[in-house]
Amino acid sequence: MSDKNRATDRVPLPPKDADVITTACDYCIVACGYKVYRWPVGKEGGPRADENALGLDYPVELEKGGWLTPNMHNVVSHEGKPHNVIVAPDQDATVVNVNGNHSIRGGCIAQKCYNPETPTRDRLKHPMIRIDGELREVSWDTALDVFAEVSKYVIDKYGVHSWAQKMFSYHYFENTYALTKLALVGIRTPAFAWHDNPSVTSSTPGFRDVGIDNFGPSYEDYSLAETLVISGTDPFETKTVLFNHWIMKGVSGHRAKIIMINPRKTAGCTFAEETGGLHLWITPGTDTVLHLALARIIIENGWEDSDWIKKYTSNKWEIESGFGQGTRNTPWQWRTTWGKFEAKDYAGFKEWILSIDESKLDFAARTCGLDADDIHRAAELMARPRKNGNRPRTMLVLEKGNYWSNNYTNSASYASLGLLCGAGNRPGQMIGRMGGHQRGGVKAGRYPLERSPEKFAGRRRKTLDLDRWVENGNVRFAYVIGTTWTAGMTASGALHETFLDLTRRNPNQVTSSRKSSIIRTLKKRVDSGGTVVVNQDIYLRNPIGAEIADIVLPAAGWGEEDLVRANGERRLRVYSKFYDPPGDARPDWWIAGQIGQRMGFADFEWKESNDVFEEAARHTRGSRKDYYPLVWKAKKDGVKGHELLRSYGTTGIQGPVRWEDGELLGTKRLHDSTLKLPATGPQGPTVHNKKLNGFNTQSGKANFIKSPWWLFADYYEYIRPKDGELWVINGRVNEIWQSGFDDVERRPYITRRWPENFIELHPDDAERLGIESGDYVVAESDRVAVQKSGFVARDTEDALFSKLVENGHIEMTSASVRAVAVVMPVPKPGVAFMYFLDPKAAANSLVPRVCDPIANNYRFKLASGKLRKIGESEYKESLEKMTFKSRDIGQTV
Amino acid sequence: MSDVIQKPEVDEHEARLETDPGQSPCRISRRRFLEGAGAITVTLLVTSPWGGATRAVAATRTPYPRKRIAGLDELVTNKPIPFRYPDDNATYSNHLLIKLGEKAGGGVGKDGDVVAFSTLCTHMGGILASSYKSDSKVMGPCPTHLSTFDLTRHGMIVSGHATQSLVQVVLETDGNDIYATGLQGLVYGRSANS
Repeated sequence: MSDKNRATDRVPLPPKDADVITTACDYCIVACGYKVYRWPVGKEGGPRADENALGLDYPVELEKGGWLTPNMHNVVSHEGKPHNVIVAPDQDATVVNVNGNHSIRGGCIAQKCYNPETPTRDRLKHPMIRIDGELREVSWDTALDVFAEVSKYVIDKYGVHSWAQKMFSYHYFENTYALTKLALVGIRTPAFAWHDNPSVTSSTPGFRDVGIDNFGPSYEDYSLAETLVISGTDPFETKTVLFNHWIMKGVSGHRAKIIMINPRKTAGCTFAEETGGLHLWITPGTDTVLHLALARIIIENGWEDSDWIKKYTSNKWEIESGFGQGTRNTPWQWRTTWGKFEAKDYAGFKEWILSIDESKLDFAARTCGLDADDIHRAAELMARPRKNGNRPRTMLVLEKGNYWSNNYTNSASYASLGLLCGAGNRPGQMIGRMGGHQRGGVKAGRYPLERSPEKFAGRRRKTLDLDRWVENGNVRFAYVIGTTWTAGMTASGALHETFLDLTRRNPNQVTSSRKSSIIRTLKKRVDSGGTVVVNQDIYLRNPIGAEIADIVLPAAGWGEEDLVRANGERRLRVYSKFYDPPGDARPDWWIAGQIGQRMGFADFEWKESNDVFEEAARHTRGSRKDYYPLVWKAKKDGVKGHELLRSYGTTGIQGPVRWEDGELLGTKRLHDSTLKLPATGPQGPTVHNKKLNGFNTQSGKANFIKSPWWLFADYYEYIRPKDGELWVINGRVNEIWQSGFDDVERRPYITRRWPENFIELHPDDAERLGIESGDYVVAESDRVAVQKSGFVARDTEDALFSKLVENGHIEMTSASVRAVAVVMPVPKPGVAFMYFLDPKAAANSLVPRVCDPIANNYRFKLASGKLRKIGESEYKESLEKMTFKSRDIGQTV
Repeated sequence: MSDVIQKPEVDEHEARLETDPGQSPCRISRRRFLEGAGAITVTLLVTSPWGGATRAVAATRTPYPRKRIAGLDELVTNKPIPFRYPDDNATYSNHLLIKLGEKAGGGVGKDGDVVAFSTLCTHMGGILASSYKSDSKVMGPCPTHLSTFDLTRHGMIVSGHATQSLVQVVLETDGNDIYATGLQGLVYGRSANS
């Protein structure tokens, strides 16, 4: 039958005896709690409360939750038989998504489930090997034996450095643990990187040095703040329920003011303005200068929180003597031995701020493209004491628009600015990352830094930039798990070409289905300097799977296995299995276990995901996700760790989990100066990391860090638009999750909203360029820098962009990407914006592949290019697909 | 008459897409629409996607009544007219009839710009009755969680959280009279529209 006969004006209600299973949304960091109602096809519940499993009378009340929509329904296979499922936000939730609040992404997550009658029908179901240029089904044994044999050959002959693993960091503890056990414990390769960085690095190294954990705040803190500063993201778009519930609660409850720092004016920015806050429509990449100016205004007016600073920030003695494990071994020290960042104490920080020209208000207004009065007003809202002497409760949070445009100094200057306001360690006064994906990473072993060939000046090693390592011809085997790699990293087009050279364009291609022949051919490939690529995912992704990979392994994921992870307030929950994975698809931990066994490594024989969960527990001890006490308690009670955690339902428990006076306790916030810990010390299996109630530094006090603009200024000068270019920045939008594998590609409701990637531009720019909404536009650049060499810095300045150019490490490449123009006053004039991760139109193609010199992170959010109209799309006239209405519409406009 | 619901992907615009290209926009096929959504009693045939037998599931659906809403000559551009449909329920059946002044998907009248939409937000049931923006032809932002919907494109979500477009009332005209003949999408709160 065809789609048009589908009922869209009714939804089957779960009968009273439907199974009720708890889970959480698979998508954004907030991870709203969901319930799955499952019952065999062939019956339905009724609209009276005593006739359905929700116990609600339909129609349900307005704004109370409990409404089920057609997109929340699906038919799945459970134990081989067709079952209806409703996957609905938990209307009983008292945490995270209180009363069943939800995003467009999570609200439609039932459509994620594999159903051969829907666009999910092309889920990967069987292992495949590329034979005669086509991916052909093979058995798990064949695929895994080829994987193991070729891997062993590569490692024996070329060393562990030539065996690379690029993987998701978030797809549940069990999977990340098993996969890192393979790469970092079994093989011990330094050629390892997560999906979102070229190297293993902190996302916010400046926070790390100040002593701030990324995910210290609880969601309640967002509702308690009186001034909430949000930099580099609009959570309305990307962390929906955190905005919808917690942030809006503070605004409606005690008239909290929101300061949005964002080059785009989206709905959350309009809301901030309409409720007495501010939107600082900042020029991309200039955040450090704004932070310095705000700090200067606060200091010059004496608005800093002096008592708090005295009590909770390091003095000179604490900074210099407090690093008990040896000054050379802490990240803070190796960064600051350059002598450029270390502020000694507050007095030193103040002196530095007042001594530099970049902190002056007129410089900031000019550089950041902001009104000086707005900057001043922001400083007042953040720090100016009221007439009664009370200070505003100020909280500062950021996300990728901030730290992925200028990684080190943006994050360091932002955290230091927070310290001036007395933020960081108390209710409603915290500093944190808002987050992107959920927190599902548990490493089974440490990164083998001593094996990394990349070095800072001096002897200190740096985690390896894996993309540059590939580009430099050093990778012979690449295991790619749950990431597009090329579209997800920068200069995507150039990286794609490099992979094609190393794989498809290599003369050694498999032409026989015999295992021995396949192995022989792939060994010849690596001996000729080529690369063997294995891609493991739930769909065949292009290009990494469809075009590049030699072996494709089908993974089972959300809903198809019992798995655990944490959200942005460290809340741990079981994401329960509720239906059968398609075909022969297997969970990632199982695949890693099979590979580990076939490569001869010990202790890879897990029987079920709970085995991995329990084994991984001790690797979380002392971390923000510490759940060791939970597993300890489960063992004591004779139940599985998963089962004990599942008993906490959608509420879960916030890490670090502690055992105190005979019960398990969650931890509301980190660095919590109000937290009372037992005077007698930790009990049972509990670990008291000092960041529970102190800062994440040796002294437990926060460090002021200097953030010199010159460290970035040469790169900024290169990347800023010139000669008719615009900024071409990128980011998320509300309706799409990541590369769109579930939604824009396979959910008709969302496909109609965004049938293709788009490029937003301001009406002023559109008029000048003769571009209208619905036009096809090409954004292009012939100056996309790619760093192809240069792993060892001799002098401290060797890693600066200007020096890399001077020393011949940079090659300029060209790139172009097509998108549908959307003209609206959302991006600042001079700025264009694209969705960041459409594999068919990768915005990252225009982004230079050059890392921050301190942290080996890309500046993903900065690119420039010229825009040119090349035609008109069907959407220009269509009344069915895509809308060009503005994303900034407010109550009063 | 039978209907089959084994396809859970929701495509609430499909019926709208059945516009006959030879006819004016106001002639969205009511017959097509009713084929998909309405009949006195329908039997829902559920075929196992995994090779099992097709089985019949009894379910009841009430057809949407044809109801006169207003006359074309009563409409003033950007002045919404409230009405109730398909029944007179004071909470769930409120809609606005609006002459947008701009051609719209599903629009009737000589300019194809007369549309009608439910005033309940399809996110969590916020009331949109006073949120129509005449400049942009958008309904919203919802006072509860700020979702916005494009009335020129079948109530498509512009920015926000709803799991379906704003519910559109299927309209047709007969001379000067505007009739409601159906609903596209499930109205907030309900498990079936009628």
